[in-house]
Amino acid sequence: MMSMKFIERSSQVMAYVLLTVCACITLVPFIWLGFAALRNPEVYFDFQFIPRVRHVQMMEAPENPELRKVWAQVLPSEGMEISAATELVGADVVNQARNEHLIEYRNGKVAWDMMSLQYFKRLLAGNEFPFARSFLNSVFYASVTAVFATLFCAMGGYALAKFEFKCRTLFTRIVLMALVIPGSLLLAPGYQLLFKLGLLDSYWGLILPGLAPAFGVFLFRQSMLNAVPTELMESARIDGCGEIRLFFEMILPMVRPMLGAFLLITFLGCWNNFIGPQIVLQTPSKFPLAVAIAQLKGIYSTEYGLLMAGTILSIAPVMALFLLLQKEFISGLTSGAVKG
Amino acid sequence: MNFRLVFLIMLPHSLSPGSFTILTLAVISSFLIFLRHDPEEEGIEFWMFAKNHYVMYEEEFEKARDPQVNGDLIAYGAMERRLLSGVLSDTPVPDLVEVQLTMASRFFSGPIDAVGFTDLRPLLEAEGLDKRINPASFSPWTREGRIFGLPHDMHPVMLGYRADIVEAAGIDVNDIETWEDFVRILTPLMRDFDGDGTMDRYLLDLWETDYFGIEMLLLQAGGWYFDITGAPAMNSDINIKVLATMVHWTTGPSRIGVNVPRFDAEGNRMRLEGGVIFQFMPDWYAGVMQQDVPGLAGKMKMMPLPAWEPGGRRTSCTGGTMLSIPKRAAHPEAAWEFAKKLYLGTEVAEKLYKEAMIVSPVIDNWDEDFYDEPIAYYSGQPVGRFYLDLANDIPQRVPSAFMVMAQQAMINAFIRTRREAQQAGVHEVEDILSLARAELDTAQTLIENKMRRNTFLNPMEDQP
Repeated sequence: MMSMKFIERSSQVMAYVLLTVCACITLVPFIWLGFAALRNPEVYFDFQFIPRVRHVQMMEAPENPELRKVWAQVLPSEGMEISAATELVGADVVNQARNEHLIEYRNGKVAWDMMSLQYFKRLLAGNEFPFARSFLNSVFYASVTAVFATLFCAMGGYALAKFEFKCRTLFTRIVLMALVIPGSLLLAPGYQLLFKLGLLDSYWGLILPGLAPAFGVFLFRQSMLNAVPTELMESARIDGCGEIRLFFEMILPMVRPMLGAFLLITFLGCWNNFIGPQIVLQTPSKFPLAVAIAQLKGIYSTEYGLLMAGTILSIAPVMALFLLLQKEFISGLTSGAVKG
Repeated sequence: MNFRLVFLIMLPHSLSPGSFTILTLAVISSFLIFLRHDPEEEGIEFWMFAKNHYVMYEEEFEKARDPQVNGDLIAYGAMERRLLSGVLSDTPVPDLVEVQLTMASRFFSGPIDAVGFTDLRPLLEAEGLDKRINPASFSPWTREGRIFGLPHDMHPVMLGYRADIVEAAGIDVNDIETWEDFVRILTPLMRDFDGDGTMDRYLLDLWETDYFGIEMLLLQAGGWYFDITGAPAMNSDINIKVLATMVHWTTGPSRIGVNVPRFDAEGNRMRLEGGVIFQFMPDWYAGVMQQDVPGLAGKMKMMPLPAWEPGGRRTSCTGGTMLSIPKRAAHPEAAWEFAKKLYLGTEVAEKLYKEAMIVSPVIDNWDEDFYDEPIAYYSGQPVGRFYLDLANDIPQRVPSAFMVMAQQAMINAFIRTRREAQQAGVHEVEDILSLARAELDTAQTLIENKMRRNTFLNPMEDQP
């Protein structure tokens, strides 16, 4: 009995250790992103993560005896900070010695003065980058699309699950077939259609195509089939409940976890959507954050620090929202996973 | 109970706190967007893909009145798709658009009359502008005698080098006239610091996958993917010799080239750490280096490219941008007037040089003093003047819709030839020539077949 308990506990510990390691690995790119947004431009490519104070140290077997003599006089055995070495012998001699590999730089303690918030300040100042405007565009585009898409998908799913009408099976099959068409295939005809409708370069051109995704309609259909008893609907109708009231007062509360989960999925999807807004929108003042930040990457040159800071600013709000709502997101996804 | 009341009463019951948060965001943001006034844009619509161009033109956009000019900065890929849609399927097009060389080639695939840009030759000739601009700069935008864009640049090429390393070794680059001198004099600078048998410092940023370097060397030697008529010339004698030399420089004991990617953190780190001493440096890249690798300030210098033969051409060119007026532009006359003002004036030329180190193709601007100013990053050299001194030697390029395909075929030929040379253990140019010829013959056949299958250029009835 004891040994069973021990095995159980050990495997639990093992699982936690493994998960912790995996979580740390997952965090590495985010940590890298954070430091990349903070490093000053002059040391940007010198360090992978945290900039460190550099020490100059003598190498073995130098080729140039003259320079070696100079450095032997100057350098203490434990090395010295590069700024002190530069002050003593001048930047040119330091550079030459390093090029000749007479000396080597060694990293010391963290160099806080090589990190700053300059990129964030530049982005938020609004002169170089319209952060506030792009942020508002992103919130508008993501939230409005998410709300309407959830409502319409719930309505569509409800109709397919609970109403008997002609061609219901055909419509369900069409929804299923639409699921297998890759979104990128629809870009060109979608663009042409939006042009014909006069919706290019408008918010509606972005929002309308995402209002009733096949995935959402099918998800809600399945959810309604499992969660909404037909007898309950019939009782409500007998008691005089109208169809609209029935939908909002009874059906939606019954699929509440799914509503939350789908709303969040759609919100995240729209927030991170890049290709759609990039193609549909033409006026920079309408760009959401994802597209506006992509403009920071020039074809001929890129200020990486600015780009990284922009990336952090763009993912921070949505990450905060996800962390706040993760419980209901998970409960939405797992609802119906266990049949009662 | 009416519907609205039901909705409002039931909302908190139907929605979780998270859903309610998103709904609240939707309502507030809709309200703010509704209140925000985005003024209707009237006047000339101007699309561009390069942020530094946009920044330089902003002042001109603000000054422009009657009609006003609306500059839109659009990401490269998005602009290419929108512009192709515009000229092929009548979706909106701008009045003016800056088109990069690779992007432009895609617009030249159909019959000459179907190219979506206005032929500017009559306008240029009528106003004598064709004589005011460096002739080589027109070449990438000229097809069958028609000129589809006003050149933005010339992009002469020099070699940028680590002066701190070269001068510390007591080498004077003025002693280098040809590529042969280059290899002979400078090879001792290569280093294997850790003694592992692999060099840690190479002479030149040249690699089999870097079409920039390949094209610059081809053009400098007088080669190119297409001949003057636009027919493929992948296996010309010059191309074969250049390819064999490049393979010689990137393989075996004679290797001097290394892969140092541009616009890339890893490449910039190698530059900073002295992993490469000499780099091909078109004028625009001289500007990029200052921004991307500030740590090399005061350590870099420029020199003309070594010639292939004594007395030969000491420069090349790469890339380029044109300013075009789509045929369906709403305001073509006003667009032409603004294009001239923007591209031919001294003000933008000065900004273009000071901000991006790009020298103007307009001959009248070449005497301006700002090109003589010393550039601290390049050890005080007047880099602009150096570039302009080479302007008359810039090679001409023949445009083609098949350019991207030819670039890829050349890279493939380079990779295969290099691999075959390694397998056969041959490293001398003379020994590699036959391998290079075989690979370029294959590339030639491939491009010929692709061009033959173009139903726009060769009607179906003429197809074999």
